[in-house]
Amino acid sequence: MRFTISREKLLEGLNTVQAAVPARSTLPVLSNLLVETTERGVKLSATDLDIAISTEVSADVESQGAITIPARKLSEIARELPPSPVKIASSGEQRISLECGRSKFKLLGLAKDEFPAFPVVRFGESWRIKSSELQKLIQHTAFAASTEESRPILNGVLWELKSDRMRMVATNGHRLAKMELPLGDGAPANPSDLIVPPKALDQVRRLFPAEEELEIARGDNHLGFRSPITSVFTRLIEGPYPNYEQVIPKDNDRICIADRQALTGALKRMSIVASDQTHRIRLALNAGMCKLSATTPDLGDASDEIQVSYTGDQLEIGFNASYLLEILRQLPTDSVKLSFKAPEKATTIEPDGWDDPAQYLCLVMPLRLLD
Amino acid sequence: MTRVAILPPIVADQIAAGEVVERPASVVKELVENALDAGARTIAVDVRDGGLSHIRVADDGTGMERSDARLALSRHATSKIRLAEDLVGVASFGFRGEALPAIASVSRLTLETAMVDGEGVRLRVSGGVLDGEEPIARRRGTTITVDDLFFNTPARRKFVRGARAEWRAVADTIASMALQRPDVRLLVRHNDAVALDLPPVDSLSARTLALWGREEHARFVELLDVRGAVLVRGLVEQPSRVGTAARRVVVLVNGRVVREPALVRAAEAAYRTTLPSGARPSMVLDVTVPGETVDVNVHPAKAEVRFRDRYAVERVVEAAVRRALGTEESAGWFGAPASGAMIADASASRELQPADLLTAATPAVPLFVAPMPSGAHLSAATSPDAEPIDMTMPSVAPVRDAEPDIIVPTLWQLRRTWLCYERDDGIVLIDQHSAHERVLYEQYMRGIEAGSAAGQRLLLPLTLHLSSAEADAFDQHRLVFSRLGFEIDGFGGTTLVVHAVPMPHPRFDAERCLRETLAALAGDRAASQIAQHERLVATIACKSAIKAGDDLSPPERRALFVALARCTLPAHDVHGRAAIVRLSWDELERRFGRA
Repeated sequence: MRFTISREKLLEGLNTVQAAVPARSTLPVLSNLLVETTERGVKLSATDLDIAISTEVSADVESQGAITIPARKLSEIARELPPSPVKIASSGEQRISLECGRSKFKLLGLAKDEFPAFPVVRFGESWRIKSSELQKLIQHTAFAASTEESRPILNGVLWELKSDRMRMVATNGHRLAKMELPLGDGAPANPSDLIVPPKALDQVRRLFPAEEELEIARGDNHLGFRSPITSVFTRLIEGPYPNYEQVIPKDNDRICIADRQALTGALKRMSIVASDQTHRIRLALNAGMCKLSATTPDLGDASDEIQVSYTGDQLEIGFNASYLLEILRQLPTDSVKLSFKAPEKATTIEPDGWDDPAQYLCLVMPLRLLD
Repeated sequence: MTRVAILPPIVADQIAAGEVVERPASVVKELVENALDAGARTIAVDVRDGGLSHIRVADDGTGMERSDARLALSRHATSKIRLAEDLVGVASFGFRGEALPAIASVSRLTLETAMVDGEGVRLRVSGGVLDGEEPIARRRGTTITVDDLFFNTPARRKFVRGARAEWRAVADTIASMALQRPDVRLLVRHNDAVALDLPPVDSLSARTLALWGREEHARFVELLDVRGAVLVRGLVEQPSRVGTAARRVVVLVNGRVVREPALVRAAEAAYRTTLPSGARPSMVLDVTVPGETVDVNVHPAKAEVRFRDRYAVERVVEAAVRRALGTEESAGWFGAPASGAMIADASASRELQPADLLTAATPAVPLFVAPMPSGAHLSAATSPDAEPIDMTMPSVAPVRDAEPDIIVPTLWQLRRTWLCYERDDGIVLIDQHSAHERVLYEQYMRGIEAGSAAGQRLLLPLTLHLSSAEADAFDQHRLVFSRLGFEIDGFGGTTLVVHAVPMPHPRFDAERCLRETLAALAGDRAASQIAQHERLVATIACKSAIKAGDDLSPPERRALFVALARCTLPAHDVHGRAAIVRLSWDELERRFGRA
């Protein structure tokens, strides 16, 4: 194998696949990249066995071949190279030489055969979705997934695909985010529910240009996303996702319309005084006014007020401020609608006056207020 | 013939002797106290056959004149007080004027005394009757010899145990008294063999070192605290060393050895949660209160005292012990502590006077201020963090403001189980689970006390199926669960539906915590009603803490360190295990053959 590549192209390829290189692994080959020559250039691949990323970058290939190269060392070298073409060649199964201007490196790699095979997905039965639409769903929902290891199913984002619409839902059991978009052509033949690890979705969001049309396909237990240049594969999380529809309240009748900036500012101020563990703040809603307060026994207390439009009986309710803030950060409109039923019931938060085909709803469970 | 008659003085003395002179040990106690009251610098005690055949106490105190010596042998004759008012705040050990006549009435007693070298007197008394008086030449001081104790009271003699048991009692008595006055030399012989030779020292700690030996002494942490007018000194056992075997307890109030179970209980209360049940810590408590706030005249042998405000004294004792256990000294050492240093410390340091403390309470050495290498002093407000600045989002809530006195050192995680850092005197290892358990325990208890525990309502309620024992355990503790922030529907059956849970930290797994807690409680029948909620909280703290094997990010390590530093008892987990172990440089050097 022998090829010449520009320093920029090499860096571009390395940056794309880097997220799939595990920080530490018991399998040594996983800290290497698989480098293969193709018709158009070279393909770089990396995997941590949960997700796998490969990308193609243009290069002048002199002779075909494949080898694995230590990923971190190659990145470190690439960053420090002078801006000249980089010549990479392999000799035997393990030796790699890299030359750039007068800089020369010899590295030890591992044979290509040791690199794990990428998951098989049936691109023959793929469906197509515009990258920007997928990214919109991911951005607005994936943050709500759980990071706690006790309920693995909640560590994933539920992606429901119907013939005419798709929906993503994520929850950690305390808050939930749900977004739905109508689907045009190219919808999957069979409706399906997929539970996707957020880490893969993050890469989908990061790696594909917004305008690109993505090809998506599933295997037995994997999902693949691909554009003409880059592919992302991920393991799917198995199991039934909890019946979230059942817990989304339909009869919340105390409606509060608030300015997103004002509410965010007041919540941030209250968080400073709220307890480190629970971030508990209290909202007291009364006609036209929302009073916020926080008390921490060994620290002190704080209160704030913002003007809102509120109809309904007086209400006091406690929340983890960080949950509210995370949701407010994602809401696309300047005005937000909060709907309540009672201090122990789920509260929903939605964009107010959003002119968009998408439907977005977030939900937060309150903190119990004693006294 | 009248049937009521005033008893002859000898009989009255014998009756009184029953109160004061129970056994040889009480004779030794009274005589040594007299010697101390006489200002002795050296006291020699000779005992034969456990004191039954012979007790001699010789001192180099002030001695007595001939007439005083005779008077001293009659009841209620004392040099120590004159008026009833003197009883308030009496500082001498004796004052009732009962001891000497009482002892004299039940033994053959010889009193030799001189106020000036060479001009002494010897008095012999047998069964309370003076039967000899002669001038002698002797050194200043007093020697009292008691032979054939109880020779004329066979009833009492029958209740005295064998010579060996009586000697043990005498030895215990002397050991306690040795702690009363570390500045007096004590030489004790039993059957002509030296049993104890304690040089005069200037601190309690130095005396216990001499009395117990280095190994035993190293089990203890020094205690020193003052609140208001109450000064508490002493030694308490390190929680990690406390066993269930016999323990030593000595309580001194204003320098007097007393039985004061309430103070011992107060000290034990301070250990609470650092000891497994059944473990009883050893301790020496030396409590000094203003003389007028304590009544020592409530017991003939003065073994009990009455405080004007006992509760206040108990509180100070508890706080003092708690503070001592919160210091670095209470964390277990790996290997022996620095040899030599302890002796030097004990003898070289001037004992703190109460007056010093009233102006500036001595700060206990805080475990969590990692001493900086010399020259690297920083302003108190900035925390010198050797870690590179970590840009990743901490998954444990970031520490609000590092308090100025909590300096977080560089923390390594070893085997995903221990945090490790370096100090001036060695390496400190923190067990992450034990430490977190301690942090959560105190956090939960504060939450319960303040009623501020928050329960996060769950979107998807948890359903738990329990065994009937577990369900019973839940029913018993229902209230505490709810005060911790759990909201659980029991329906009285074996199925629980959990609607809200506390959120003590981001890794908290409520379902697992509940299951394990209830399983642990179900197997536990011993808990008394009072200790129940503490037990429950301890169990929950244990089950909700991070485990060994959890990988902690640097911000999480720092957050744990700061939280632990804020705890009142950081060095011990709630099961009585050590949360912190130190490895001294000396020990390391020894192991590497560098010593």
